[in-house]
Amino acid sequence: MTDINATTTGSASLGVAGAAEHPAVTAQGAALSVRHLVKQYDNASAPVLNDISFDVPAGQVFVILGPSGSGKSTLLRTIAGLEPIQGGEITMGGELLRQAQSAGKLRSASASDSTKVGMVFQSYDLFPNKTVLGNIMLAPVLVQKRDKASVQAEALRLLERVGLADRKDAWPHELSGGQRQRVAICRALIEHPQVMLFDEVTAALDPEMVREVLDVILELANSGQTMLIVTHEMAFARAVADHVVLLANGSIVEESDHPQEFFDHPHTERAQQFLATFTYDRGQRQS
Amino acid sequence: MRGAEILLQPGVFPRLLQGLWVTVWIAGASVLLALPLGLLVGWLMTLKNPAVRVIMRVYLDFIRIMPQLALLFIAFYGFAQAFDWNLDATGACVLVFVLWGAAELGDLVRGALESIPRTQYESAKVLGLNSWQTFTRVILPQALRRLLPASVNLVTRIVKTTSLATLLGVVEVIKVGQQIIDANRFQYPDATLWIYAVIFLMYFIVCWPLSIVARRLEKRWAHD
Ligand SMILES: Nc1ncnc2c1ncn2[C@@H]1O[C@H](COP(=O)(O)OP(=O)(O)OP(=O)(O)O)[C@@H](O)[C@H]1O
Ligand SMILES: [Mg+2]
Repeated sequence: MTDINATTTGSASLGVAGAAEHPAVTAQGAALSVRHLVKQYDNASAPVLNDISFDVPAGQVFVILGPSGSGKSTLLRTIAGLEPIQGGEITMGGELLRQAQSAGKLRSASASDSTKVGMVFQSYDLFPNKTVLGNIMLAPVLVQKRDKASVQAEALRLLERVGLADRKDAWPHELSGGQRQRVAICRALIEHPQVMLFDEVTAALDPEMVREVLDVILELANSGQTMLIVTHEMAFARAVADHVVLLANGSIVEESDHPQEFFDHPHTERAQQFLATFTYDRGQRQS
Repeated sequence: MRGAEILLQPGVFPRLLQGLWVTVWIAGASVLLALPLGLLVGWLMTLKNPAVRVIMRVYLDFIRIMPQLALLFIAFYGFAQAFDWNLDATGACVLVFVLWGAAELGDLVRGALESIPRTQYESAKVLGLNSWQTFTRVILPQALRRLLPASVNLVTRIVKTTSLATLLGVVEVIKVGQQIIDANRFQYPDATLWIYAVIFLMYFIVCWPLSIVARRLEKRWAHD
């Protein structure tokens, strides 16, 4: 259906999985579709995600906001297949990707299924036993069985785009946090995932490194990559989002296709309260 | 200084080398057998199965609590004779050192495997690697790095502990030394010091490179 090798000869583009290359996605309208998703951890008394439904059209930047513990990471992890779900289903390009299993086990995914979603985590999780290039090339060669030379060429193009071409032979421990996250983004992109998931990828970074990573994500957004972003960087969310949802108490309490309006004039009290936690009022200071 | 001359007596040095060979042979055979067994034991120790956990716990504790000498006697006098095994003293030594080495190495392997952060498994999974690919390409290489310095130290401990084999009548390097000293008690009364000095040097030559390797690796891999 999707020829993963076709893009390797194209121009050096970050948006390797642009909508045009995934006919099945555009045909269905929604790249990712979540229906009645229920997630409850084994020893928890209440579900973390309680009947969540939403669609992410191809090419959309879908930003998820919410207070700590509201289940943002859990949501991304269920989409990535890292957590079994107890109800509902997740489809991608019209094909079933995950569904609830009575045994609580994850459906075993085929190699092509397992590379449909790319994810970058908050912690720097490059493989320390591999170089930058080794990290990026491992999965396309091993899992997607692609030609090594063309994978390497594409890896170098991706590194070029994130400004790390000269670090291709470095070891992860020799890189700064911001550089590691940029490599992690390349490592996910090279598989041409239909959807990219970013879980607070700048939360552990020093402030001056946040920018270099967010710029890469912004560029990726401009290239048409479908993505779900969890972030606490409100200014960034405002700049990058096509669609914003606020997650609280296991449900989506407010969502908007007009991010500026959402940030400036949230409708629900919960959203007003949440956004207020990011502003400081001089009036709070006792003189 | 007359004691030093004993070292120049014909046969003394070759006999010591022969003894050293026995020492190295027992240690080498034990380590070679303990390596794969230790990896297996370490992997078993990480399993959630309660029965396997208990068995591994008892095995490790038993080996740790018992003095090596007691284990040697059990293997040589108890075990071999009770089951009518044709186990000679050297075989009993290798058996004990393999069981001991595998238990200790297994515990090191377990620690190394458990020290790999969960996100390493998760990133591999999201990239589409299956469990076997994840284990062989991502987890094991990292675990081995963390494991190597400590397991080299374990090997030096095994080499040194082979001296207990004397007590089962194995003629390894220390036993040879004692025999030489006894035989020359009247001719070279102060030979003892010299013979043991040579034995000390021999152990040193075997173990020192191992310690160097261990320290090198520790430095080189300190970052992860
Ligand atoms: N493995 C787990 N087992 C049990 N409960 C868990 C597990 N992981 C998360 N939880 C719980 O699920 C809830 C949601 O956690 P989650 O990490 O998804 O929140 P989050 O919105 O990402 O928060 P943060 O902004 O702090 O990252 C929390 O109450 C958390 O304690
Ligand atoms: Mg989180």
